[in-house]
Amino acid sequence: MSFLHIHHVHKRFGETHVLKGVDIEIEKGDFLVLVGPSGCGKSTLLNMIAGLDSISEGELRLDGQRINELHPSKRDIAMVFQSYALYPSMTVAGNIGFGLEMRKVPRAGRRAAIQRVAELLQIENLLKRKPAQLSGGQRQRVAMGRALVRDPQLFLFDEPLSNLDAKLRVDMRTEIKQLHQRLGTTIVYVTHDQIEAMTLATRIAVMRAGELQQLGTPQSVYDDPNNLFVAGFMGSPSMNLVPARIAEKAGALVALIETEKATLALPIVRDRQALTDWCDKAVMLGLRPEAITDPASANRDGGEIFEADLEVDLVEPTGADLYVVTRLGGTNVNARMRPGSPPQSGTQTRFAFDVSRMVAFDPDSEARIRDRASVGSAPLASSA
Amino acid sequence: MSVATSARAASSPGRRITLGRAILYALLLFFAVLYLLPLYVMLTTSFKPLAEIHQGNMLALPEQWTFAPWREAWGSACIGLECSGVHGYFFNSIKIVVPAVLISGLLGAFNGYVLTKWKFRGHKIVFGLILFSCFIPFQIILLPMARVLGILHLANSTSGLVLVHIVYGIGFTTLFFRNYYANFPDELVRAAQLDGAGFFTIFFRILLPASVPIIVVTIIWQFTNVWNDFLFGVSFASGDSAPITVALNNLVNSSTGVKAYNVNMAAAMVAAVPTLLVYILAGKYFLRGLMSGSVKG
Amino acid sequence: MSDTASPHGKGVRERLQHWLPKLVLSPSCVLILFFVYGFIAWTSYISFSDSGMMPDYAWAGLRQWSRLWSSWTWGIALHNIWVFGLLYIVSCTVLGLLLAILLDQRIRAEGALRTIYLYPMALSFIVTGTAWQWFLNPGLGLEKTMHDLGWESFSFNWLIDANMAIYTVVIAAVWQATGFVMAMFLAGLRGIDGEMIKAAQIDGAPAWKIYARIIIPQLRPVFLSAIVVLAHLAIKSFDLIVAMTGGGPGNATAVPATFMYSYAFSRNEMGIAAASAVFMLAVIAALIIPYLYSELREPRS
Repeated sequence: MSFLHIHHVHKRFGETHVLKGVDIEIEKGDFLVLVGPSGCGKSTLLNMIAGLDSISEGELRLDGQRINELHPSKRDIAMVFQSYALYPSMTVAGNIGFGLEMRKVPRAGRRAAIQRVAELLQIENLLKRKPAQLSGGQRQRVAMGRALVRDPQLFLFDEPLSNLDAKLRVDMRTEIKQLHQRLGTTIVYVTHDQIEAMTLATRIAVMRAGELQQLGTPQSVYDDPNNLFVAGFMGSPSMNLVPARIAEKAGALVALIETEKATLALPIVRDRQALTDWCDKAVMLGLRPEAITDPASANRDGGEIFEADLEVDLVEPTGADLYVVTRLGGTNVNARMRPGSPPQSGTQTRFAFDVSRMVAFDPDSEARIRDRASVGSAPLASSA
Repeated sequence: MSVATSARAASSPGRRITLGRAILYALLLFFAVLYLLPLYVMLTTSFKPLAEIHQGNMLALPEQWTFAPWREAWGSACIGLECSGVHGYFFNSIKIVVPAVLISGLLGAFNGYVLTKWKFRGHKIVFGLILFSCFIPFQIILLPMARVLGILHLANSTSGLVLVHIVYGIGFTTLFFRNYYANFPDELVRAAQLDGAGFFTIFFRILLPASVPIIVVTIIWQFTNVWNDFLFGVSFASGDSAPITVALNNLVNSSTGVKAYNVNMAAAMVAAVPTLLVYILAGKYFLRGLMSGSVKG
Repeated sequence: MSDTASPHGKGVRERLQHWLPKLVLSPSCVLILFFVYGFIAWTSYISFSDSGMMPDYAWAGLRQWSRLWSSWTWGIALHNIWVFGLLYIVSCTVLGLLLAILLDQRIRAEGALRTIYLYPMALSFIVTGTAWQWFLNPGLGLEKTMHDLGWESFSFNWLIDANMAIYTVVIAAVWQATGFVMAMFLAGLRGIDGEMIKAAQIDGAPAWKIYARIIIPQLRPVFLSAIVVLAHLAIKSFDLIVAMTGGGPGNATAVPATFMYSYAFSRNEMGIAAASAVFMLAVIAALIIPYLYSELREPRS
């Protein structure tokens, strides 16, 4: 039995169908990140877990117990809100201790608990202040302290970092991850930031328009996307999506890509079985920027490398990396190269394609074309 | 953003006093004098002996300062057949204002809380119906109210007026608190619910302590309205239970005897002092009430 | 917010929590329903009855309404409220806007001046009426002052002149409310985007043109609010007229509010009084309901 079981959950607000049957299961100690563009239903789902929104259909189970009808305060859940929602008229200590006070924890016990959490979050010197006197990062810590002090079964985070500036966001991200590792708590975390999702999660649930697109570990979601949406949404810069045609050439399956000068024939090594049925049909190929490199940086141990000369359109150095833009199948394609000796734009240079990482999608249904055997690594839970 | 300022900054770097500025200040000053004049005349008249009023200039300061008109207005002027000044009516007004303001304010705070943080199907209609009660001409309720107060044995009593002012004050107090709490983040209420706080705990522990500004606005608005009311007072309370405004009108517009203008002005000042004091001490909040009472907050 | 997990068959406490919000709202709703809407219904009904001193619930059709419309005094009252309302709204708006623009020139002592312009709003109409009645007193007030100052021919006896008395009420009412209108306009002026004004200045527009072409057109919502509020105050005006003129001389300054009051409480003509009150309500409702609707309608998300 999983620790948190979201079973076929629907949410309707009048006519609008906000959640269309979502199934997610996580284990104790998991860090689940619900990620998706705004309006995908991730915050609604979080509020339903908290008990702040009612469930139209389906079931929620926490540690085996059905919690659909349980009042928010009885679910043993704590939540960190996007706006932090600190009570403006109470001190930091009052804010952190309020939940305990409501649960009739005696004063001495409360004090000790507040002290413990304040030490953990390094906010002992702020305990007497009011929220208005705190900086954004400090408020964030107090909001977390308020959740931590209750020691609940489940923590909910609703875009907790979105109000912080970029640098602080990265620092707090690290701290949240450290806290999770240290305390072994179970967390459900909502964000629209896919980098936050990748760095924090042990499980990622990608959502769109009220439907779960993919549930899996960060790596499986990244490497093995279920559909075009997940492929495009996760990763920055995003996955290159190139129109191509599957063909048989000398007994081997290849993907033909039009370039300005010639037609490229990339050998198919992944999902070969499934793609056999796609012979002479158009597909959408997905290749991460780091799977297209200069020949010297190509991963020749695990991968399977195919090399080709292509014209360089544009060069974008970022310091750590160098992104080289070329054109494949009529679209811009990003390749990640060593920053050392950049090729000149307008010249021809040699690109190395790691075709073992190449994935293909049905351009009409946007679904992934994959062999059955590989499905197991990334269970698809979404209902069509 | 002032056109003049930035225009001036752009055209002439020096801070010259131009003819335009002089005219501007002259105009502003002229209007200031115009607005202060009635108050000035009221005050000076109230300190003059009657003889000086009949002979002297209305705008002149008293040649002979006297507090007698104030003493008479407060303690011995005749209103109707009773010759004991306005002080009794002044206290009547206080007896009406205090409970009416507190109760209507509390009801409004609860209503605003429910209408923003515990919304239910139809909450907008309920608010609309409550709000419309602010704007009805009260003539429409005078007749039935007089009868109902009679049935409840509240006619000609300050308690009756308290009831009336509570009922017709709810609209404004609800408007104030609703608009204030509408800007209050819902997440606070959600957080408190997760913390285990119930309906009243959330209100008294979290919202109310953060509502000081709107409480002040509401108290000032209701205080001013109830204190300055005349229509309800004259319709539902007569004789001993009348509020100060009714007493003042009876004093000033009674047709018997010689008109003691100085006493009238002193009595008018007595009636005006509480609200003027509130205005001077808390003008900012007074203005906020006025604005949100007319425009959406 | 109220959409928390619903307590099906839960304990009494939780069910109570569920109903508590509505329970807390209900006293106000009951009071408003009875004392506002119930009373409106009652008064409306009475306007179709033969009620005199006591209510008479027999249906009398439009009898009271036709009596009302053929009443000479009611004609005067309607004429007066029209004159009073129009002058009051126009003067307050023009003067209020003028004061707001003058105050918006980054002047010294703005706070003090604003306080002075606005203080009459804190006074009771009865106090205002008393003050202005004295100020405009034909024997001892303004007229005498002017004579003392050497302007022997100055004559100002509007207060007792049946044709002019209504204008004295307008003066006092404008004195009382201008500051309020000024505050509304000032808030509107302060809300206008400064960059637009800078852009106009760079385009070379003179100050008056910037006001006329850019700023004042943008104040349209404030004009609307001011006019609605003033119109509503005008129709309800009762106290000031009672205090200044008592509706006189004769019936010269009667308005619907004083008409209603005298028929209700002095002449014991409940039916006519009710009809006049219903008429007042209808006019205000026609004015206020569309306004409230547009003000409170939240933009669809």
